[in-house]
Amino acid sequence: MQIEKGTSLTQDAIRRLRQNRMAMSGLWILVFIIIIALLTPWIAPYSYEEQNLALGASAPSFEHWLGTDTLGRDQLTRIMYGSRVSLMVGFVATSVALTIGVLWGAIAGFLGGRVDAVMMRIVDALYALPFTIFIVLLTVIFGSSMLLLFLAIGAVEWLTMARIVRGQVLNVKQQEFIEASVSIGLSPWQIISRHIVPNVLGPIIVYSTLTIPSVILLESFLSFLGLGVQPPASSWGSLISGGVETMEEYPWLLIFPGLTLTITLFSLNFLGDGLRDALDPRSARD
Amino acid sequence: MSLLLSIKNLRVLFNTRQGQTVAVDDLSFDLNQGDTLAIVGESGSGKSVACYSLLGLIPTPPGKIESGTALFNGEDLLQMDEAQLRKIRGNKISMIFQDPMTSLNPYMTVLDQLVEVLKQHHQINKKDAREKAVAALMDVGIEDAENRIDDYPHQFSGGMRQRVMIAMALMAEPQLLIADEPTTALDVTVQAQILKLIKDIQIKRQLAVIFITHDLAVAAQVSNQILVMEKGRQVEYGDTGTLFTESTQPYTQKLLSSVLRGGKVFPSFVDKNSKPLVEIHNLQTSFGISTGSFFQTKKLRKTVLENINLNIYSGEILGLVGESGSGKSTLGRSVIRLLESDKGEVIFEGRNLVELDYGQLKSARRDFQMIFQDPYASLDPRMTVFDTLAEPLLHHHLANKNNIEEQVNQLLDDVGLDRRFLRRYPHEFSGGQRQRIAIARAISVKPKLIIADEPVSALDVTIRAQILQLLLELTQKHQLTLLFISHDMSVIRYICDRVIVMKDGHLIEQGETEEIFNNPKELYTQQLLDSVPRF
Repeated sequence: MQIEKGTSLTQDAIRRLRQNRMAMSGLWILVFIIIIALLTPWIAPYSYEEQNLALGASAPSFEHWLGTDTLGRDQLTRIMYGSRVSLMVGFVATSVALTIGVLWGAIAGFLGGRVDAVMMRIVDALYALPFTIFIVLLTVIFGSSMLLLFLAIGAVEWLTMARIVRGQVLNVKQQEFIEASVSIGLSPWQIISRHIVPNVLGPIIVYSTLTIPSVILLESFLSFLGLGVQPPASSWGSLISGGVETMEEYPWLLIFPGLTLTITLFSLNFLGDGLRDALDPRSARD
Repeated sequence: MSLLLSIKNLRVLFNTRQGQTVAVDDLSFDLNQGDTLAIVGESGSGKSVACYSLLGLIPTPPGKIESGTALFNGEDLLQMDEAQLRKIRGNKISMIFQDPMTSLNPYMTVLDQLVEVLKQHHQINKKDAREKAVAALMDVGIEDAENRIDDYPHQFSGGMRQRVMIAMALMAEPQLLIADEPTTALDVTVQAQILKLIKDIQIKRQLAVIFITHDLAVAAQVSNQILVMEKGRQVEYGDTGTLFTESTQPYTQKLLSSVLRGGKVFPSFVDKNSKPLVEIHNLQTSFGISTGSFFQTKKLRKTVLENINLNIYSGEILGLVGESGSGKSTLGRSVIRLLESDKGEVIFEGRNLVELDYGQLKSARRDFQMIFQDPYASLDPRMTVFDTLAEPLLHHHLANKNNIEEQVNQLLDDVGLDRRFLRRYPHEFSGGQRQRIAIARAISVKPKLIIADEPVSALDVTIRAQILQLLLELTQKHQLTLLFISHDMSVIRYICDRVIVMKDGHLIEQGETEEIFNNPKELYTQQLLDSVPRF
């Protein structure tokens, strides 16, 4: 008999993820979309601000595969350029929220007592701030920029993450294996990083895959307020909200950006589910 | 006596990803009115599945009742549809479950839960229903039933809740009661009371009882027929009296031999004149309960341990006995500072552990380790066996990258686990195997003292005997000192050199094991000893 395969959780997780077809197709579609987004300036058929007012809003054709908008701009090009903004906002803002939220929640939950109380009251206070006014204030003070966009979204999204993580940590903390690691002599930081965080990964991953789409949509709202992307630059969010206005006359202006976003989100969800299963040894089905 | 239930050739399958598994294979038995049948077997033997399938309580799919008949008053339960079964459940046949903490609905008063059964099966008005419920509670020995009936489950203790469960099961005056390990989660003194209660009620009402248990001693005490199951098959079926003396089946023999009888065969060599390994003086531990708002916290303290004085000698296995809530686990954890104490001293090799600062304590932790009760919760589910065992070794620099694999393998050998399990995760092991892993982790750093907190109470009897044997071997081999916490007197007698009895946070009696068992000085110790089921 041979010693069974696998060395660490990460390697096992990769092996299990590979066996999950849904997750892998999600991953490949995401990779494809990201590559397109990166290469857009070189492969886009038109320039994103090139207008053709004579053409106006035209249905998909050979020249314009996904049609043009009311100003005669090529929609495929605009979706491609939009993906750069949306994906960046989605991933960067989510990672900001993820990092702060997980650390904050894990520390509060693990240390407990007064520290926990103070840390969570700060979260509550921030929750209570009206988001819209907060953004408007930021815009007035600092003007609009992409950096500010990340900051604003990150500042809001980590709160929920911190709460979710804290709740999970409180639950995991009571289990005997945490006491066992105290009795081995591990420091609090070692216990958090080695034993607690890996055991709360499931909800973290699921919530992250939910955060990315909500961040992408949040961006379109912020752009509408004048923070973030300004026309003629585009993002998926702004294309969709533009498309909604002309939905009855020119449905393709809503359908295609919507479809792109939907495909991305589906892929993200499949990948997220796959990751959650892959990181949980108990879901193994060998 | 008239025949109530007759099972013939019952066969239950489960379809799993790995293919079909036979949960119950060719089971046949008869049960008369007023008789008690004990179905005995280890976990996974199919004893619960067999009974659940009678009432259509196994999920189908994946479960499937493939063949057999179950005649209850002449009607085949297995042919009934859901509506017919609902008329039987709780009305003609009712059940009591293992865990009284989770089998009652925490958001309903006891009255509502008791009356619910009646309303389901009979037309009855509110006043009559309440009267009946109060009578039922009084029947199961709950004092002040008239008032307590409006309480919620959390206001009752574990034993009381099990009494409520029994009252609930009896509300509709069933003919057959199926009790699935009804006393496993209870303290030994409470277990004795509940067993007696079930027996009394059975005689009074001429009830037939199927008693599912893994404990042969309990089975011997309550039943007049025993059916032994192993891996879904019926190994033996006969009268309780003759089964124990005349059984020839190897599996029954194995079960019988795993019943712990008598004291320790080879007592550890302990030099009582030497300096104790641990000296505990006036140890007091309390838990804070904070109430009030964030800015104005009122701290109440509940004293759990008071004035504990105790020596632990090198090389001995010291038993710590008490019921739940007696503070025995708190004492174990206070000694090695998994819990902070208010005052007192724990002198371990000349140093007072209570006063060590964080850094000193961290390095001192190598010398004392702990084995926990629940092998399902004490291992990190996301770590392989290798990672679990390598962590303490690497942390205390007892191994390096080159020899770590060899060292971990040796630990596996020590606890009798196959080396090829190295890369598996905890969920792939049985309870007994997990407990072996937990023991391996505890001995990995070569500690001087191990606190074992109920290490075998979550395990099957046959596994329990093996794990106790392993602990005995390891203490000899590595010259370990063990503080062995348990509520099970037979386990304590089997493994310990000395015993301490705890009650309500105080040590009430201590002495050599045989002396305590033969000549208990305190009334409470006598009560504990009397409640152990015997045959």
